[in-house]
Amino acid sequence: MRYRFLFILGVIVAIQLLLFFPLHFSKNVSVASADQLKLFEAVMCEEIYSDTPRNPTSVFSAAKEKAVSFSVFDPVPQKTIIYHNWYHRDVPSARIRLQLKPPRWSTYSSIQLRKTDIGPWRVEITDEKGNIFVVLRFSVTD
Amino acid sequence: MEKLFIFLSSIRWQDIIDISLNSYILFRFYVLFRGTNVFRVLIGMTVLWFLQRIAISLGLIVTSWVVQGIVAVGAIIIIVVFRNEIRRVLQAKNLKSILWGLSLKSAVTPTEIIVESVFSMAKTKCGALIVFPGKEDLSDAVQGGTPWKGFITKEMISSIFWPDNPVHDGAAIVQGDQISVVSAILPLSHRDDLPSYYGTRHRAALGLAEATDALVIVVSEERGDVLVAKGNRLREIRRKQTLEQNLQEHLGTATIKKGFARKEGLEIALAALLSMVFITGIWFSVSRGQDTLVSLDIPVDYTNRPDGTEIVDTSVKSVSLVLSGSGALVKSVTPDQVNVRLDISNAVIGQNSFAIAPDNISLPPGIVLREVTPPLIEVIIDETIRKQLPVQIDWAGKLSPDLILLDFTMNPETIEIMGGKRILEKITTIYTEKVPLDNLSGKGEITAKLALNPAALKIAPGSKDKVTIQYLIRKRE
Repeated sequence: MRYRFLFILGVIVAIQLLLFFPLHFSKNVSVASADQLKLFEAVMCEEIYSDTPRNPTSVFSAAKEKAVSFSVFDPVPQKTIIYHNWYHRDVPSARIRLQLKPPRWSTYSSIQLRKTDIGPWRVEITDEKGNIFVVLRFSVTD
Repeated sequence: MEKLFIFLSSIRWQDIIDISLNSYILFRFYVLFRGTNVFRVLIGMTVLWFLQRIAISLGLIVTSWVVQGIVAVGAIIIIVVFRNEIRRVLQAKNLKSILWGLSLKSAVTPTEIIVESVFSMAKTKCGALIVFPGKEDLSDAVQGGTPWKGFITKEMISSIFWPDNPVHDGAAIVQGDQISVVSAILPLSHRDDLPSYYGTRHRAALGLAEATDALVIVVSEERGDVLVAKGNRLREIRRKQTLEQNLQEHLGTATIKKGFARKEGLEIALAALLSMVFITGIWFSVSRGQDTLVSLDIPVDYTNRPDGTEIVDTSVKSVSLVLSGSGALVKSVTPDQVNVRLDISNAVIGQNSFAIAPDNISLPPGIVLREVTPPLIEVIIDETIRKQLPVQIDWAGKLSPDLILLDFTMNPETIEIMGGKRILEKITTIYTEKVPLDNLSGKGEITAKLALNPAALKIAPGSKDKVTIQYLIRKRE
């Protein structure tokens, strides 16, 4: 009886250990998966329609008044922050903070275009540490 | 005294050569052309030039303008009008005698032999026509003739005019102690006041004497008379002494026989001295006047740049130089004659200061540097590195509103660029020159050159300087 109790106690401890360790493993996976955040798609477009980019292009007329940087991350292991950094001829113009949520997330940023914005632009999509996922290049024309 | 010492120390060896060379050239002109009309005209042109300078200094505008015009065409006039004299001098002398020989005046004409021969021929009624040129050139007046170049002897003169000799008809021309030409045809006088017994030989003698400053002896074949034509006169000579005296006066040997060599030497020495004084005067007036100032902006050339480095920036691209000199020299100075070179072999990476010293500036002779602005130049030197940079197309213009640039590819997508480390570290993109969209539609291929900014950047050897773009344009959704 006594051994039986010890056996049951051992099983319970084992189950608790099994329950405990998988939790820690899951966290570790979570940390590891943050490193595995992957950019699935990135594109410049004129507008977002039904959560999808419309009229992807590299040339925006200043008359259209808007340029959109659209990005899709898959997988997104956990909530994380990315940035869309906009540059006009190598001069920083805007830094837009965007949040990603698991397991897959689409997001976008946009700028209003004016006549003074004519020229070459680029958008650097980076993580929080500044690691660049991709550079999108486009021009604003008349 | 101190001023004299400063002046003497300012004379360069080039100045001494300059004066000596030009003095010698002037002296050679004198030696080659003395006694000819060319030399007299040259002196006249020189006087005109001085007159022009005086007229300018006095403010005589029209006078200076007229004289300047005459002097300007003077060179052409000399060459055209006196081409025969110039040709004679250049053809008759070899290069050594042109550059070096003193070319002493013609040897003394043996007048006694000529007089004896003339009267001997007169006695035998052997007609003769002998020309003694003066200072004028006879080549325009005399036609034909056979070159002879024989030393004068009584026998030779007699043989030339011997009736059976093929060259007896015509004139013999005496140059120094030689008969240079025989059988020469002289211009005839058209005077109608001459005695009827004067024949063609007399008219020819008078014709040449009228046209030039030559003296011509005529021996009449019919009457056995001896006549001398000079100017407008044709005189009969009965006595040998009179003829000899006439000849000596014409040839200028009447009083100089004894002191001929000494006088000739003195004349040459005086000419050399005057040439030196004249050129020295011109040299001083042209090169030593410091009354005129001019300011020039000259770009700076940086030389001996250390390997593996490049000039990133300089405080100035050019320096302003204030130069002085005589008016004539300063007016002729052009920016391409002036150079400012800065040796930057000792420059280090970073900012360097260099002072502009006179050694850095090369000026035309006779021009003096007064001021340099700025006196210091800042030069920023950087290490040269290479960097692979992405290329971005700088689209410009406007697509049709119903079109959209759907996609494009570019080849190559990156270019290797060389430049200063500080510059290249900050640069992340190389842009193309503007690529116009206005006429694009459908799909196609275009090329675009790279626009390097700043200009100090260079495309690395082996990299392309332009990209090929394949584009796809479609109707907007």
